[in-house]
Amino acid sequence: MATMPEHVPEKVSRARAPRPDHIPERYVHEIDMYALEGIEQGYHEAWKNIPKSDMPDLIWTPFTGGHWIATNGDTVREVYSDPARFSSEVIFLPKEAGEKYEMVPTRMDPPEHTPYRKALDKGLSLAQIRKVESKVREIAIDLIESFLSRGECDFSAEYANVFPVRVFMALADLPESDVPTLSRYAKMMTRPEGNTPEEMAAHLAEGNRGFFAYVEPIIQARRGKESDDLITVMVNAEINGERISHDKALGLISLLLLGGLDTVVNFLSFMMIHLAQNPGVVEELRADPLKLKRSAEEMFRRFPVVSEARMVARDQEFHGIELKRGDMILLPTVLHGLDEQQNEDPWRINLERRGISHSTFGGGPHRCAGLHLARMEVIITLEEWLKRIPNFTMKPGARPIYHSGIVAAVDNVPLIWSGR
Amino acid sequence: MTRTGESRIIEAAEGISVMEAVRDAGIDELLALCGGCCSCATCHVYVMEAFEDRLPALSDDENDLLDSSDHRNARSRLACQLMVNADMNGLALTIAPED
Repeated sequence: MATMPEHVPEKVSRARAPRPDHIPERYVHEIDMYALEGIEQGYHEAWKNIPKSDMPDLIWTPFTGGHWIATNGDTVREVYSDPARFSSEVIFLPKEAGEKYEMVPTRMDPPEHTPYRKALDKGLSLAQIRKVESKVREIAIDLIESFLSRGECDFSAEYANVFPVRVFMALADLPESDVPTLSRYAKMMTRPEGNTPEEMAAHLAEGNRGFFAYVEPIIQARRGKESDDLITVMVNAEINGERISHDKALGLISLLLLGGLDTVVNFLSFMMIHLAQNPGVVEELRADPLKLKRSAEEMFRRFPVVSEARMVARDQEFHGIELKRGDMILLPTVLHGLDEQQNEDPWRINLERRGISHSTFGGGPHRCAGLHLARMEVIITLEEWLKRIPNFTMKPGARPIYHSGIVAAVDNVPLIWSGR
Repeated sequence: MTRTGESRIIEAAEGISVMEAVRDAGIDELLALCGGCCSCATCHVYVMEAFEDRLPALSDDENDLLDSSDHRNARSRLACQLMVNADMNGLALTIAPED
């Protein structure tokens, strides 16, 4: 620390990894995925702040254990789609923390991955999800009506943080009173605290243990039972002709909770902040129910929230850059959906956009298994909200607080509206 | 062929997808929610047998998504993955039931 200047911003106290010999100095940019520069202005804005001119497809940062970052949509997509070159052996950063991550099957590569994925898909297929649509709608309506007459709410705390979680707990047949505990574990995994890779690894491991301890008795109780809740379906799934092992079931059920508790939650707040400031888009959505349904994809493109990683599977040259087995590559999905080369005028919500291009659900064999549920939650939120609250704005003076990490987050989203 | 059994003949420009051609013809029951990202399975159609050889092979994503439908059969495709070209002249499709 002796060489550091004295008036250090907080960032400087964060651990830096030494640059490995195979990585030339010109690829180095100091980007801390957990403390992005300019995050006060917004998560997507902060990621898009990284300099653009002559940016190579991958850059390297010494923060978070030292890792590569894919800087554009084509690269994000290419890395996601080729598990032979880019393995899921470790997917969370820092790598030390990613090695403590024990969810299933997110750290498997094909063909080991395939039967687990089939089990997940079975429970989360479009056909399955359609069956719960009325239940999901009921939950949305209940929530909105609970604060409708008040003329204001903190959208993040009172809707976004509650709705997808309530939906998920209903699908999994778990009590809502367990939500705060599970949300805390999720946060420990997707935005682990600490200034060094070791501290963050310890925090993530604690979150992972929390999930496993929570699901352990639930799995025991639902083994061999008949019921159509998500957990019962999954713990009785067959993997290569045999019932899924207990260890793997721990990881699989925990992953369901992690995936269902932290992603749509944050996406919805980002979307609503934007709508509150863009009444023209709201007007367009309200005018045409089919357009509203089809708008979800443009919203997914515009507000990606996930940045996970892949591990370089073997020494290779990639786009003229030398990569070593074990190198980590962060894939900020925001740099795909908001890539000017992929989507013209990317900051604008364009409900007529053709050829929407994004990686908001990831890509390749691990593409988000919950995407049908996520899409339904977004459409139902828009439908039921705009029906009841057609005109709304941010409360004057509102200052949303943004956080970056594996999953981006935003708190403090006060919205106001007057009578219909 | 729509779900109500109505036959419609559509002229499609080369280079757009079959999904876009159907949607642009105002046939709204082909929801095509994701707009062609191959991520929603709501542009599920059955393709006339004689055309199978003239269509591109199924990708893994398309295959997985079709698996998520209760109505998949051997002739199932996602219309967003079929780009219109001269070979397709006369292609007949039936819109699959909604899941």
